[in-house]
Amino acid sequence: MWTYLLRRLFQALFTLLIITVLCFLLTRFSGDPLAQYAANPRMSAEDRAALVERLGLNDPLYVQYLKWLGLAIQGDLGNSFFARQPVTEMIAQRLPNTLILMMTAEIITVSFALFLGIISAVKQYSFWDNAITTFSFVGFSIPIFFSALGLMLIFAVQFKEWGLPYLPTGASVWDKSDPVEYIRNMILPVTALAFVNSAGYSRFVRTSILEVLGLDYIRTARAKGLTGRAVLFKHALRNAALPLVTIVGLDIPFLLGGAIVTESVFSWPGMGRLFWEYSQRSDYPVVLGILLIISLAVVILTIVTDIIYTFVDPRIRLS
Amino acid sequence: MKRNLFALLSLLVLASMVLAACGGAPEATEAPATEAAPATEAAATEAAACEPGGTEPIAFPDGGKSVTAAFDQEPDAIVPYFTQMSFAVWVTQLTLVGLGEWDDKGTFVPELAAEVPTADNGGVSADGLTITWKLKDCLFWSDGEPITSEDVKFTWELVVDPANAVTTRTGYDKIESIETPDDTTVVIKFAELYPPWPTLFTQGPNNAGSILPKHILEGITAAETDPFIRMPTVASGPFVITEWIPGDYMTLLPNPNFYKGRANLDRVQIRFVADSEAAKAALQTGDVDWYPNFSEGDIEALEALAPAVVLTVVPGVDFEHYFFNMGRVDGVDGRGAAENEGFCPFKDVRVRKAITLGINRQAIVDSLLFGKTTVPVSQWPNSAWTNTDLEVDAYDPDAAAALLEEAGYTLGADGIRVGDCNGTQTKLSFNFETTTAPIRIAIATVAQADLAKIGVEFTPIHTPAGTFFGQYVDGGPLTTGNYDMGGYTTGFYPDPYTDNYSCENIPTAANPTGTNWYHLCDPALSDLMDTALDTVDPAARKAILDEAQAYIAENYYVLMMYARGNVYGSTPRFQFGPAGPESDLNWNAEDWDVTE
Repeated sequence: MWTYLLRRLFQALFTLLIITVLCFLLTRFSGDPLAQYAANPRMSAEDRAALVERLGLNDPLYVQYLKWLGLAIQGDLGNSFFARQPVTEMIAQRLPNTLILMMTAEIITVSFALFLGIISAVKQYSFWDNAITTFSFVGFSIPIFFSALGLMLIFAVQFKEWGLPYLPTGASVWDKSDPVEYIRNMILPVTALAFVNSAGYSRFVRTSILEVLGLDYIRTARAKGLTGRAVLFKHALRNAALPLVTIVGLDIPFLLGGAIVTESVFSWPGMGRLFWEYSQRSDYPVVLGILLIISLAVVILTIVTDIIYTFVDPRIRLS
Repeated sequence: MKRNLFALLSLLVLASMVLAACGGAPEATEAPATEAAPATEAAATEAAACEPGGTEPIAFPDGGKSVTAAFDQEPDAIVPYFTQMSFAVWVTQLTLVGLGEWDDKGTFVPELAAEVPTADNGGVSADGLTITWKLKDCLFWSDGEPITSEDVKFTWELVVDPANAVTTRTGYDKIESIETPDDTTVVIKFAELYPPWPTLFTQGPNNAGSILPKHILEGITAAETDPFIRMPTVASGPFVITEWIPGDYMTLLPNPNFYKGRANLDRVQIRFVADSEAAKAALQTGDVDWYPNFSEGDIEALEALAPAVVLTVVPGVDFEHYFFNMGRVDGVDGRGAAENEGFCPFKDVRVRKAITLGINRQAIVDSLLFGKTTVPVSQWPNSAWTNTDLEVDAYDPDAAAALLEEAGYTLGADGIRVGDCNGTQTKLSFNFETTTAPIRIAIATVAQADLAKIGVEFTPIHTPAGTFFGQYVDGGPLTTGNYDMGGYTTGFYPDPYTDNYSCENIPTAANPTGTNWYHLCDPALSDLMDTALDTVDPAARKAILDEAQAYIAENYYVLMMYARGNVYGSTPRFQFGPAGPESDLNWNAEDWDVTE
């Protein structure tokens, strides 16, 4: 067990190192951090040269990388070129907003997906199954920028025009300490996220329940006289939910990254927008910082999931 | 009669002094008491009347008047010497003013200064090297400390101090010394002639020079990392920044000591949104009151949103232009050697003229820009520097074709002209590079179709702005001269000088940060622009710039596509304006109001 853990940790460190190199190269070659100053008549050639020097962009690439890595190991992700604030501070400001939005959306998505998936599976090929299948495919195929904008245009813009009670677009200055305001502003983004994500999940739930329902132990349970409900919830769902737990578990680190499109449409001050805005500016300390945190979360959660498996399923041994 | 007039004047002066004593009332600024009353008496009364209106921003009252702007770019820092962002300057205009600014008509007017220095009022010395500014009396920062000439001097010291990483020192580095004989007099001595001196310590949308508070910033080094530089919480402008939640919003409250008196509004908020689409929806629901950054391509959609959204288009001093890569590896008269040779046929002025005549620019303005702007004659549109004798070349495909024939380019079997260029058979087929902005894609497509009609194959290549404007070391096409034709927007204002035509400014390995992206070395033009830089007298400068504009036009070095407009969308309740090309919308934020 301990050797296994040590080996996994070592692997994880190596993986992280490779990830940072790749991310560094990708972000460095994805644009020029000084392009925002281009064609700006206010800036002279000397000013530009001085800025390049100050940002350390004159160093060879490997020196830039090693400098960044050295600080990152000590927990210092550097300063944003653009905002000149510590990256860790910038992330800390956005993370809570993103977590609240994404966790709420995730909980609603999973509950909704379970509900739809179970109905679909139990009433296979019924009207409801077909209806849910259609809904899933529609939800799955519509890009989120479209459904998010659509929701906003209907429930905020058009409802206001029709004189109905309308939801906020998210772009007003609203009081984040007021729970009612918070929920009002969260309805549309959470709906948009849940609509798209639950579509895929519900298909997954349907398939795994159908698979389990066909197994021998379910027939045994039925044969010993249990009701359909008891069979479904006590026996079938438990096993069918295991793969879902794995998938949701793997999704959690990505929740940290926020939802770029949804956050942008609804002006949500979260990680997704931070990442998007700063990658457009080629502000690589910020982009790298966010990527590093997400990679770190993925790597750690994978190890944790593996360990948890041994407790959940006694058949699994770590060696 | 004279006695009566004197009595009346004295009464007026007295009345204004009483008003001034009330503190912060708008009338206070109208009290230059020195004119009629004896100087000593005035000074004494003045000292007594000089009290700040408060030491804190004025709190937002219940039911107060508030407006919210949507910004799709969050400023990096608000103190202007440390940022190059327009969005940052727009906030600066609300909170940290300078000695002067450009009003809606493009006139240079005083702000913290009592008047604009001229040769007539003794503000500009005979040799043009010394500029004397007089500050208004009774100026206070929002925290109640006086604004004095020392603050101006301190600002200069901070900007030129190598310990502070400012984004630009242009002009400030030409100052030899600043003397402050008294609290309201600033004597600026330049080491060499610097005709654009009005751009120093003053403000416009393309020019950001605020006076900084010495009592707050004295003694700091590495100012770029100081929190005050990012978010100045002491103001000289109409509003004070009191709150800034990154990624979310910023709040500004009225400055109790603003020189023109308290602003009309009780609060201004700025909400950071992702893009103009989010802003457009928020305008429709009234979640925000204005958005300053629509583009010409949004005009049609915004017009359709009336009356919920009010559209305002202000013709600007920026311009979209197409240009030819004029690079010559051998240079001209030993000057301006480029590393990449431009497309050979472009060396012939007839080819450049034919391409200019062959694009229907007016039709582009009318259809794609909804006739809201114009095709300018030169690179100084909507400004007092425009050469008014010049005329725009009208679309004339027949003349264009005739010119190409004359230059020896005849139609080939594939409909593209071929001719001899310096001994090589050359097809009139070349690339045009610009960014991926939708309006640029649309315009380039029209230009491509127009030029095809005269036998010219013009192939647009759209590159993301980050790559297109990439630095020389990163191989950016403009900087390295790796393009045939190019197009983007720039503007030369409030001072008209540009070094984009200087032979010595062509980017090369030895001079990677040069800004002559046309890679054009025309010694006559280069020297003309140098002369403009060495001429202080505004009338003489105008004559030189007129000549330069005529020269550029005759030689068809650039194709002026259209003057960029500032496109604002606002809610009907938000009352602002007037806004001009060099003043922006924010220049008179103290007068903003709302109607409920």
